[in-house]
Amino acid sequence: MKFTARARGWRIAAVALTAALALSGCAAEAPAASSGSGEGPVSGGTLTFGRAASVTDLDLHQQITANNAFAIDKIFEPLVSFDADGKIIAWLADYEVSGDGLTYTFTLHDGVKFSDGTEVTPEDVVFSITRHLEMEGSPLPIEAPVDTIEATGDREITITLKSAYTPFLSELAGFSNGVLPKDFGGANEAEFFKSPVGTGPWVLDEWDPNGDLSFVKNEHYWQDGKPYLDGLVYKFVADPTQLQQQLVAGQVDAVEQVPAANSAEVGGNAALQLIEAAGWSADQVFFNTLNEHFADEHVRRAIAHAIDRDGIAQATGFGTSEVANALVPTAIEYSANDQGYGLAYDVDAAKAELAKSKFADGFATTLAIRNDRPEFAQIAQIVQEQLAAIDIDVTIESLDYAVFKERVYANLDYDFMLNNGQADAPDPNGIISFQTDVTGFSKSYWTSFSDPEVNKLVEQGRTTADGPEREKIYFKIQKLLAEKAPFIPLSFPANLQGTTASVHDYTLLPNGSVRFQDAWIAQ
Amino acid sequence: MSVEGQHTVGDDRPQGGTGHRGSADAHTPARSVARTLGRLLGRTVATVLPVMIGVVVAVFFLLRLVPGDPAAMILGDRATPAQLDRLREEMGLTLPLAEQFGNFVWGIITRFDTGDSLITGVSTREAILAKAPISLGIVALAVIFAVALTVPLALAAARNRGGFADQVVRIIPTIGMGMPTFWVGLLLIIVFAVQLGWFPVGGVAPGPLGTLWSLVLPAAAVAISLVPPLVRSLRAQLLEVVDADFVTTLRAAGVPERTILTRHILRGAALPTIALFGVNVAYLIGGTLVVEKVFGIGGVGTLLFQSIGSRDFPVVQGIALYCAIAVVLITLAVDALATWIDPRLRGRQS
Repeated sequence: MKFTARARGWRIAAVALTAALALSGCAAEAPAASSGSGEGPVSGGTLTFGRAASVTDLDLHQQITANNAFAIDKIFEPLVSFDADGKIIAWLADYEVSGDGLTYTFTLHDGVKFSDGTEVTPEDVVFSITRHLEMEGSPLPIEAPVDTIEATGDREITITLKSAYTPFLSELAGFSNGVLPKDFGGANEAEFFKSPVGTGPWVLDEWDPNGDLSFVKNEHYWQDGKPYLDGLVYKFVADPTQLQQQLVAGQVDAVEQVPAANSAEVGGNAALQLIEAAGWSADQVFFNTLNEHFADEHVRRAIAHAIDRDGIAQATGFGTSEVANALVPTAIEYSANDQGYGLAYDVDAAKAELAKSKFADGFATTLAIRNDRPEFAQIAQIVQEQLAAIDIDVTIESLDYAVFKERVYANLDYDFMLNNGQADAPDPNGIISFQTDVTGFSKSYWTSFSDPEVNKLVEQGRTTADGPEREKIYFKIQKLLAEKAPFIPLSFPANLQGTTASVHDYTLLPNGSVRFQDAWIAQ
Repeated sequence: MSVEGQHTVGDDRPQGGTGHRGSADAHTPARSVARTLGRLLGRTVATVLPVMIGVVVAVFFLLRLVPGDPAAMILGDRATPAQLDRLREEMGLTLPLAEQFGNFVWGIITRFDTGDSLITGVSTREAILAKAPISLGIVALAVIFAVALTVPLALAAARNRGGFADQVVRIIPTIGMGMPTFWVGLLLIIVFAVQLGWFPVGGVAPGPLGTLWSLVLPAAAVAISLVPPLVRSLRAQLLEVVDADFVTTLRAAGVPERTILTRHILRGAALPTIALFGVNVAYLIGGTLVVEKVFGIGGVGTLLFQSIGSRDFPVVQGIALYCAIAVVLITLAVDALATWIDPRLRGRQS
C-alpha cells in the first residue's frame, strides 16, 4: 500500500493546524500508533460525505454496486476483514485454518452485538452465509467450494471446504458476507432491508433511495468508544464539479471522488487534504479475441508494444496512478509489476510483430469506450494516435454505459475496448480468474480468451497455501498473460478522495470504502 | 405545444381582438367571467387531451427505441440469462407491446402513475412528488426573477430609445441568449458562491429560509436565460405603444405620467410578452431540470438524469408525462392571465 498522499497530507495539515494536532491526527491512521500527545480523537459531530450516486438498496447479497456497497459495509460486517494495506485481519471473529486448508474455525469475539442490542450468535452467522451461498447470481459470490457450515459452539462456527481454496478468507472479507440476524430477526425480508440491523458502526437513520442517506452511530458497537462521530450523512451530489466545489466551500466534509486532474488542486489547498490510497483496479485495453484481427496473438503483441503506458499513466493520472507492467495491482499480493513482464513501448518491435501477423499492412478497427469515465476518452485518443504509427486505423466509439454493457458485455459486439478491471478482494485469484476464466459469467472479461496453461496455473494458485510457491505460480500467470496479451494493463489508478483539514483518521481502504468509525472532526 | 391564442412577438397588437375574448355585448361582469371561465375550461380539455395522448404515446414508444436493457442494469454483470428473463417477465417487458402499452395507459388513468421504479421499487408518482416541491420552487422563483428583471430593463430601454441604457439592454441580452443555462449556473456559482460566499455552492440548506436561499442562484440562472427574449419583446411593444394616439390623448387630458405608464402603456405592451412567456414555458422547465444538476440539487431534474442513466423507464416516463402536464397547465395559465390583462375585457368589467 502506497501512502504518498499521507506525507503530503501531513505537510498541508501542518500548515493549517498546530504541529501537534497534525501529528496526532495523521499518525493515528496507522493502527499501532495511539495518540500519545493527548490530542486524541474528539467525540461528536456529524460528517457529511459527498457522493455521486444514491444508495438504492441495502440487500448485501443481491445489490452490491459501488454506491450501495459503501453503505452496506457501514451496517453489516463480516467475520474477517482487511486493513488499509489489504492484509486480512480478524474482525467479528478470530479464525483458525486447519493444516490441510479444509477446515476454518471462527470464534466470535466476546460481546459482539447487533445494533438493536441483541448478542450475535453462531446461528446468525450460519444463516447469513447460507443465504448468500444459496443466492443465485450474487454480484460477489463465494467461489470457494463450501461443503458445510455449522454452529459448533456458543461462539464457534466451523466451515469446511470440499477442496483447499486459499482465497476463501479474502472472499469472506467482501461486502456480501456481513452478518445479519437469523431469519431477519423475525422481520419480513423486504422490510428488514429497508431498516436493517447489523453489527456495523452505523445505523440507518433516514434514507431517500433517490437522494441522501443518513446514519447515526451504533451505540452497541463492539469496538469500544467508536465511532467517534455521532452521525454520518451520505449527501448525493450528482455533478463532479459541484462535488468538489462543495468541498472547497466546506458544505461537505469529504468527497468520495477527486478526479486525478484535480488532485493537485485539492492537495495544494491548505484547507483541504487529498486522501490517496493505492487501489485494486487496473485500467486496461481488452481485445475481443473472437474478432478476426484480435484472434491473432501477433496483432495483440504488436499493439502492446505500440502503446506507451508510461505516457498514458502520466497524461491521465497526473502523478497519482502507477504504470501497470502486469495484471495484478501492486496493492494486491503477488503483483509481478516489478518483474519486467510487460511488453515494452517499442515501435520497431511493434512493426516486427505486426509483420508476423496475417495483417502485416495494418487494418482498420473500432475502439469502444464508456462515456461515464472521462479519462477513457483521453486514453483512447492516445491509443488511436500510437496505433496509427503501425498502420492500425482506429475509430473511437464512445458509448453510454447502458449501451456499452449491452454491446460489449451481453453481445460481445465490439473489436477492442478500454475498461477497468477491479479486484474485490486482496487476493490475486479474484482479478485473474475474472479475466481468464472463459466459462465464468465474464467470459474472460468479455475477451473470450482461453489458455489451458493459464487455466491450469490458476487452479494451482487457488489450492496452494500462501507462500513463495504460490507467488511463483502467480508470477508465471502474469508473465504468460503479458506475452499472450488478451488484454494490456495500462495503469493502476489510485483511490483519490478529499476531506477538509479538520477531518482526522479518515481511513480509506484499497477497495475504495472508508472506515468512518475511526474518523473524527477537530472542533 | 401549440395552444390557441398564443402569439409570438409583433403579430398581436394590444388593441386588436384575438377572437376569443368574449363578444362585444357581454351583459354583466359575472356572466362575462363565467363565460370566460367556461371557454377556458373547454379550451383546456380541447388542448390538454390531444397533447396528453401524444405525450403518452411518444414517451412509451420512444423509450423502447433507446438501447440498453433495464434488466441488465438492475441485475449487474453476473446475472444469468435465466435471471434476466425472469426479471424481464416480472417487469412485464416480455408481454406483447400492445398489452404493455395498455397496462401503461391504465396505470396512468387509474393511479396517475407510470409504475414502480425499477431501481428503487418506489412508486414513480411518489418519487416525483417527493422531489417536485424543490423543482417547482426553482420554477416559481425563476418566474419572479424573470419578471423583476424584464420590466425595469425594458422600461429603461424604451424610455431613452437609442440612448446608452437602450444599447446596453439590447446588447447584453443578446449575449445572454447565447449562454446555456448550465454555463450561466457555473458562472453564478463561481462569482456569488465560491468568490463572494453569499450563497451555498450547491445543495439545499435545511429550513424554509435556507431552502429559499439555496434556490436563489439556480432560479437566477434559469431566469437569466429566459429574460433576453422577453426584454426584446416588451421593449418593442413599449416603443409602439408609447407613440400611440391614445397615449397622446391621455397626456393631453392631463393624466399623470406614472398612471399612463403603469395603467395604460405597460398593461397594453405586456400582453404579447406574456404570450411569448407562455411559449417559453417548456424552456423554463427544461432549464430548471438542467440547472438542478449544476447546483447539486436533488429535484426532479436530477431524478431524471439518474433514471435515464439506469434505464429506469417508468420514472423517465413519469417525469416526461408530469413535465408535459406542467407545460400545458402553465401555458394555459399564462393564456388566462393574458385574457385577464386585456384592456378591453378589463374595461368592460369596471
